[in-house]
Amino acid sequence: MSAVQAILTDTTRCTGCEQCVEACRAENRLGEDAPRRWKRSIDDLSSTRYTTIIRRPGNRFVRQQCRHCARPACVSACIVGALHKRPEGPVTYDPDRCMGCRYCMMACPYGIPRYDWEAAVPFVRKCTLCYHRLEAGKQPACTEACPHEATVFGDREALIAEAHRRIEAEPQKYQNAVMGETEVGGTSVLYVSDIPLDFLAFKPELGEQPLDDLTWAALSKVPPMVVGVGTLMAGIWWVSGRRRKLAAEAARTEDESRSQPEPEPEADADADDDEERS
Amino acid sequence: MTPRQRVLKTTLWAIVGVLLVVTFARFSTGLGATTGLSDAAPWGFWIAFDVMAGVALAAGGFVLAATVYIFGLERYRPFVRPAILTAFLGYIAVAVGLTYDLGLPWHIWHPAIYPQPHSVLFEVAMCVMLYLTVLLLEFAPVILEHRAFNRPVFNALHRGLKRGAIVFVIAGIVLSSLHQSSLGSLYLIAPFRLHPLWYSPIIWVLFLVSAIGLGLMTVTLESYFSAWYFGHPLRMGLLPGLGRAASVVLLLYAALRLGDLGARGVLEQAFDGSFLANLFLFELGLSAVVPGVLLLVPAVRRSPRGLGIAALMTVFGMVGYRFDVCVVAFDRPAGTSYFPTWPEVAVSVGIVAVALLVFIFFVEKLKVYPEADEVEAERSRAEQARKRFDPGSLLPMTPDSIGAPRRHSLALVFGLAFAVALLPSDALFGAQPAATPVEGPRTVDGYAVARDSGQGTEFILAGAGQDIPKDAAPVELRLIDGNRDGRLVPFPHDAHVERMSGAESCAQCHHQNLPLQKNSSCASCHRDMYSVSDTFDHQEHIDALDGNQSCQRCHRDPHQPKTRATATPCADCHRDMVVEGSRVQPPKEGLKGFAPGYMDAMHELCVTCHQEQAKAEPEKLGETFGECTTCHRELDGSVLRRLAPYQPRTGGGQQTD
Repeated sequence: MSAVQAILTDTTRCTGCEQCVEACRAENRLGEDAPRRWKRSIDDLSSTRYTTIIRRPGNRFVRQQCRHCARPACVSACIVGALHKRPEGPVTYDPDRCMGCRYCMMACPYGIPRYDWEAAVPFVRKCTLCYHRLEAGKQPACTEACPHEATVFGDREALIAEAHRRIEAEPQKYQNAVMGETEVGGTSVLYVSDIPLDFLAFKPELGEQPLDDLTWAALSKVPPMVVGVGTLMAGIWWVSGRRRKLAAEAARTEDESRSQPEPEPEADADADDDEERS
Repeated sequence: MTPRQRVLKTTLWAIVGVLLVVTFARFSTGLGATTGLSDAAPWGFWIAFDVMAGVALAAGGFVLAATVYIFGLERYRPFVRPAILTAFLGYIAVAVGLTYDLGLPWHIWHPAIYPQPHSVLFEVAMCVMLYLTVLLLEFAPVILEHRAFNRPVFNALHRGLKRGAIVFVIAGIVLSSLHQSSLGSLYLIAPFRLHPLWYSPIIWVLFLVSAIGLGLMTVTLESYFSAWYFGHPLRMGLLPGLGRAASVVLLLYAALRLGDLGARGVLEQAFDGSFLANLFLFELGLSAVVPGVLLLVPAVRRSPRGLGIAALMTVFGMVGYRFDVCVVAFDRPAGTSYFPTWPEVAVSVGIVAVALLVFIFFVEKLKVYPEADEVEAERSRAEQARKRFDPGSLLPMTPDSIGAPRRHSLALVFGLAFAVALLPSDALFGAQPAATPVEGPRTVDGYAVARDSGQGTEFILAGAGQDIPKDAAPVELRLIDGNRDGRLVPFPHDAHVERMSGAESCAQCHHQNLPLQKNSSCASCHRDMYSVSDTFDHQEHIDALDGNQSCQRCHRDPHQPKTRATATPCADCHRDMVVEGSRVQPPKEGLKGFAPGYMDAMHELCVTCHQEQAKAEPEKLGETFGECTTCHRELDGSVLRRLAPYQPRTGGGQQTD
């Protein structure tokens, strides 16, 4: 599987049956949901729920999960490279590397990664697009479980084409955008919908620029800054040292009136100390 | 020890006691149980204060080192050693604070073996790690000057370190300017979550410049502290110079910040009167504009009071800047909030207390301040002279016979006990699932009226303006939040006691709390009302018809008990629920049998079987036999509410009669 894979979710076909949620729970052995302080509701995304169904007014159901960005902010943010972008599309997580800084959670524009807050040994939890199943040549558990093909798995290019085909076939039914096609560089989880998906953080201001470009703009300045600041400081040190030396010589040869005012007692004390020890 | 030293040290030791307890709680029960952090606020008080503010407050070290070593302004040399020591302890405090915040602190060394150079945090970690080493090398000579190290090998080391000082200083400046700015760059990745008044493409410049200004003011405040605590003279000959430099830096920072807002066209947002806009104005004024302008006035910066106030403003304002970026102005999803728990605050305060104790220890034992020797001699003379009475100490608890170590141990134990007593139960026993919030019960007067039908009793609240029938008997009613939805309903407690066979029956209700306290409500006994049947979900109707106030929309006659028999028939509202010719029909007589819920009922009863059959006999039934649309045709707004008339599908195999 070399081409980038993706999931297309069509909210008009979703009936909210939660078969995808249950399949995910079984596949990833997530255990029971419990009401927690850090959850807004019991079916909020959490360390025991990588995907959930959000119920919207008018009996609309929208599946929430990791978007698997093409240029993921979380991967660029991870200090130890515990998060990986796989060529097939998934963003995966290596718990052996993670040190628990949670910068990925701060960086995600969609607010997806969850944390094992209840555990004394906590890890970051999120959908991995069932990378272990992809490696075995299977599709993710959620798309396999969906009874009405509301969420389907496949080649990203093909799914984008299919999404546009659906919108063109029924333009009066769908919102005129494939969510995830270009947002912050594109995602591997695409949505077509008859309702606006701003509650999934598909905000209009997201733009097409990948977020790691923003930090790289600052990070790429580090080497010149090292050289620049280092050279500048060394230069100023040399100049100021030279000036003091000249001033000291001048003071020694000329009258006292030209010398610097106030001899520094503290500096002298330090110098005396040096001599004492040497 | 002077009285104020005694009081401060004893207090610090008590805080250390508190720190020990919360440390144990934090590492034994985890972050969720001890902090207010959540998925919506993954970074909170610890990152904002211990790391962001801590690093910025320790900026005095590299600023003063640059002033004296690089720019050759020798007269500021007396400030260098205390500034380096503060920076050294400050950075150690940052590292220690970080171990509390990290989920897996035993992996704190992973950045060194799993480098990820695209991460700003990686750059920060590397710089902080290296700078901590540099600070150790810069401060090591002070330690080596102690008489315990007066050996040839240490003296040689001391000479070497002194000779290499300029290299360490330049390395320290480079590393500091890198990570001070990169702490701001951390937020470049979150343009949609950090408020535009704080988010800026040049946030790293703002962090660096503000750290320089803050560093100068921290060094100033440190002089005030050493004057207050150690009795060192306040160097009013030199401090105004620092103040003047700070004013230039602070005003530069304010100009950069406002100029950046103007250039990005969001300056007017600062004046829209919202909370964050006002916070921005307050923060910028407190941190930079007001102290910057104050310090421009020679009379202000030359007066100890004026300079001190300006320095305090900057310190609070700049720490506030870090808090705003990290916590306040960082967007969270609607309905979530963050407020630090007291153990979180106690950890930060405790680490500062330990750092302060170590600082005092170093100053007492080493030559951190140039006047250390004279002051020490004078202090011990004064101590000798005034041995007897000391009103500033904790007099009743600490008679002179109790020495400092014993007093400090006592304070520590007191702190331990205090913290254990206050610790939330989650912090002791681990995070428990959140209980459903419930309104407390209230007792009110009311009347009981027998229903005409002879079934049950009707209750009327006294003073509710209703007519009270003649045969009404006054009763004491309890209002309880039986459904845990925040609405109180009258509950005849006495009648329940009687019906449940007397005084021994308490436990039947009060000790039957089910897991998570989710269902120990009225409905746990009155199941017929709340259980959902295969065709009817009571709760869904309550939700759809405006909550508990909507009872009478189905149970129309208030004089009848609210049972299924007296309710409005379903078909009065749902006129087209069952389409003519549907194969699936609700039971003709009686609604028997309970299912977990409508959706589950359907999926257990029909879909599961359909799916199995579709797999077992695909050629006979057709592949689509297991899909919802087999029964629910023409999926539209009402999706699964309606069953389409059964029509055999064309295409797939047909069943034969």
